[in-house]
Amino acid sequence: MREALEGSQAIARAVALCDPDVVAAYPITPQTHIVENLSKLVAEGDLHTEFVSVESEFSAASVVLGAAASGARAYTASSSQGVLLMAEVLFNIAGMRIPLTMTVANRAVSAPLNIWNDHADSMAVRDSGWIQLHCENNQEAVDTTIQSFKIAQDTDLPVMVCMDGFVLTHTMEVIDIPTHAQVRKWLPPFVFKRALDPSDPKSLGALVSPDFFPEVRHSHHAAVDKALPVIEKVDASWAKTFKRDCGGLLTVEGPEDAKVGILAMGSTVGTLRTGLEHHDGPGAKLIKLRAFRPFPADALRAAVAGLDSLIVIDRAISPGLGGILGSEVKSTLYGMPNAPRIHNHAIGLGGRDIPESIVGDLLSSIEDPDAPAFSVFDADLSMLPPEDR
Amino acid sequence: MVVINRGAHAEPGTSLEFKTGNWRSSECPTHIHAKAPCHAACPAGEDQQAWFAWLQEGHVEEAWRELVSANPLPGVTGRVCPHPCETACNRVSIDTPLAIHNVERWLGDEAVSKGWAYPVEAPAEDAPCVAIVGSGPGGLSAAYHCLRNGLRAEIFEALPEAGGLLRSAIPPTRLPRPALDAEIGRLLALPGITLNLRSKLGRDVLLDELKHSHAAVILSPGCGESKEWNVDGAVPTDLHEGLHLLREFMDHGQFPEARRVAVHGGGNTAIDLCRLMKRHGVEQVTLVTASALPGPDTDPNDLINVVPRELEEALEEGIEIVEHATVKRLIMKGSRVTGVEIVALKKLLGTDGRMHRIQFEGTERVVPVDMVIPCIGERVKADGLHNLLNRWHYLDAKDAWSRTDLDNIYAIGDSRGDRGTVAEAIGDGRLAVQAIAANLKGEADPQADDRPEMPAAGLNKVYFGAVKRTVPPKLPVGERTFEAEIEGDIGRLEALREATRCLSCGNCLACDNCWVMCPDNAVIKTAELAKDGSHYLFDLDYCKGCGICAQECPTGFIQMKEDTWHEGD
Repeated sequence: MREALEGSQAIARAVALCDPDVVAAYPITPQTHIVENLSKLVAEGDLHTEFVSVESEFSAASVVLGAAASGARAYTASSSQGVLLMAEVLFNIAGMRIPLTMTVANRAVSAPLNIWNDHADSMAVRDSGWIQLHCENNQEAVDTTIQSFKIAQDTDLPVMVCMDGFVLTHTMEVIDIPTHAQVRKWLPPFVFKRALDPSDPKSLGALVSPDFFPEVRHSHHAAVDKALPVIEKVDASWAKTFKRDCGGLLTVEGPEDAKVGILAMGSTVGTLRTGLEHHDGPGAKLIKLRAFRPFPADALRAAVAGLDSLIVIDRAISPGLGGILGSEVKSTLYGMPNAPRIHNHAIGLGGRDIPESIVGDLLSSIEDPDAPAFSVFDADLSMLPPEDR
Repeated sequence: MVVINRGAHAEPGTSLEFKTGNWRSSECPTHIHAKAPCHAACPAGEDQQAWFAWLQEGHVEEAWRELVSANPLPGVTGRVCPHPCETACNRVSIDTPLAIHNVERWLGDEAVSKGWAYPVEAPAEDAPCVAIVGSGPGGLSAAYHCLRNGLRAEIFEALPEAGGLLRSAIPPTRLPRPALDAEIGRLLALPGITLNLRSKLGRDVLLDELKHSHAAVILSPGCGESKEWNVDGAVPTDLHEGLHLLREFMDHGQFPEARRVAVHGGGNTAIDLCRLMKRHGVEQVTLVTASALPGPDTDPNDLINVVPRELEEALEEGIEIVEHATVKRLIMKGSRVTGVEIVALKKLLGTDGRMHRIQFEGTERVVPVDMVIPCIGERVKADGLHNLLNRWHYLDAKDAWSRTDLDNIYAIGDSRGDRGTVAEAIGDGRLAVQAIAANLKGEADPQADDRPEMPAAGLNKVYFGAVKRTVPPKLPVGERTFEAEIEGDIGRLEALREATRCLSCGNCLACDNCWVMCPDNAVIKTAELAKDGSHYLFDLDYCKGCGICAQECPTGFIQMKEDTWHEGD
């Protein structure tokens, strides 16, 4: 049923549709409304779950880790500093191969303190071994949230659903919310084969000596890699039932013969799409990357075939290197015959507004032979003292 | 081949595969039940730590039974023993030693008043019988230990009453006669002991007869004769020897007339005599002794050999003690003594490499006295023992079991010449009977207890706080008589409180420290008593040898020792 909902409210409804056994989260802007709405659903009797009010994000992550390890469908959500406070437990959850779902309402990481949207938080834990999926809009965020429970249990991996803070979480959209019956039919009950069981005891996360550690890490890497087809399959199955998809690993749109492409993740994709529609001149391909982890290398190489230039938009930077997504795209395309030239720009850091007109600026920038390999594209360097530019 | 599961979780029990015991480098923990120093120091062989342990748990009768398994006369030794146990007590390193003798005395008196039965059984009618000459502490102990070893005992006592020097030479102020009578009366009433009074060796019974009529003979005649004494050959015509005077006084309550007296010697007889004479009215009593009074620099070998409490009381009562001195000359008026010239002694290294006491020229001084009393020690009365005495008039005992050169004849206690306390006589009696019992069964001598002693440094004193020693009441000097006991009773409450001061040196307290603190769970707690008497075992498969258990063992029961264990043992 189509309803006008705020993004956070929609996510809470989506989570509730999946019948989680345990929800534990600690509020942080811009994730707060998700937890508030879940709490409200519980209070109103619409959601029957063990809702654990914790005193920190570290505890929230620990509670869902324990809950999922003992066989419960578990959910948590956080943002920014909260994600960082969870960091140790996030590595533990992934290392122990515990399937659960977490929403990250993407927000910049301080200092300086900034509550607005960019991708610094989820990027900071990109090596924790979680699956990370990015959503363009709130419909996708709802659909991906429900899908993520299935991906988690099919891969024995935790899934992080990334949605842009404020831009999505605080935006009212008309969203098609599936019915409880539809979701129950599509999403099988949670089964965790390695669940803790007093009658069959085991010890999770115990000491692993150098004799075994590299093997453990190899198997973890392989497992995340092997999640690629699962993500596609789950999205396909979703599309079959609900007549809409989220774009699998990535999607490509625009003219077949375009020589220029733009790649981005999250809500930026929507802005760029509108910008391209209003842009005069030769068209460009728009690549929406949904799966950041696992990184869909083959799909990406296929998507960029035939392009001369690829503009990669980052919403976070790795100071001293440049764009994170840009660097990963470059390394993926390395050695590819006729690989496009990569133009990597970070835009919209800390919530800086991304206007549709930026598309024109981006496209004309590739004409400049002296353009740097990476830039914080929308930074006004005149605001800085000369020595800091 | 190991197959790593998803998420690398551990299956149950797998951590036990890591035998951390093979990380151990050189030492591993061992239970060592070392001797408590009180036990090691006790000539009677008591294990004070063991009976204090019973008291700590409130088992008073059990404590007494443990005590009398070695010493049947705690009521006596608790009063007269110089208690080397207290000198040795490791609590000195924290505060002051336990009041062991007070508690021992209380236990002895408690057994008498409650009528607790000695832990012995009547020997068989046809059990071998041991003849015991003398019914002093050595003879009584020997008779009692005969029963404990399944033997019968027949005592031959020259005097009309049993007790030996306990009765004849120790003042009632130290050992009240009712206490003495009660304890030895109970002992002598035990079935299997026959007491023949007025039965004097050499007159009523002969050693040769005893040798044939009994399985063995234990000679415990004591030292009944004062050593010969003169000063450069001079002896006053009216010479009274100390032991003789003491016995006379105990019998008749009289001393010869004297206003000022010098006593020459330095043992318990000398001190007892000095105090009795002073209390009897002698104005000035001077003890001249070659030994030293206790002090911070006193060489233990030089220390005056008396019960410390008695010395303290003597000084309280105004006895003048001249230490490091001897009588150089008697000043006579005709055959009567009018004074003694005393001279200081100094220990110097002689040409033979030994220390000798040398008179210090120029330190002479005259003490005017009416009487000089030698108290320089006693020797064995020759009656019936002529051929056995050595040149110093003692019986030669050649080993720890007190064997003499004659088959099946043992000489114990003061008569050996190398003893001097009631406790030593009691210990001799026990050991001699143990050897006799073993010989009769055709067995080798019992094994000596060669366990190491627990030094104070072996304890972890963090676990023991300072607790004040109990000081029982004492009669003030003005109220002291010839009869009333000077030191009072410690009483039940204080005795039990005093017991809690025991550090249990070398003994497992079952405190669980090792079990709780072992980082490898390599200490296993057992419901059954383990072979070493504790409730703990070391699982050396997992012990890394870190030594925490040994460090945190309050009593030194756990010690790190050379590791002789190999994986799979």
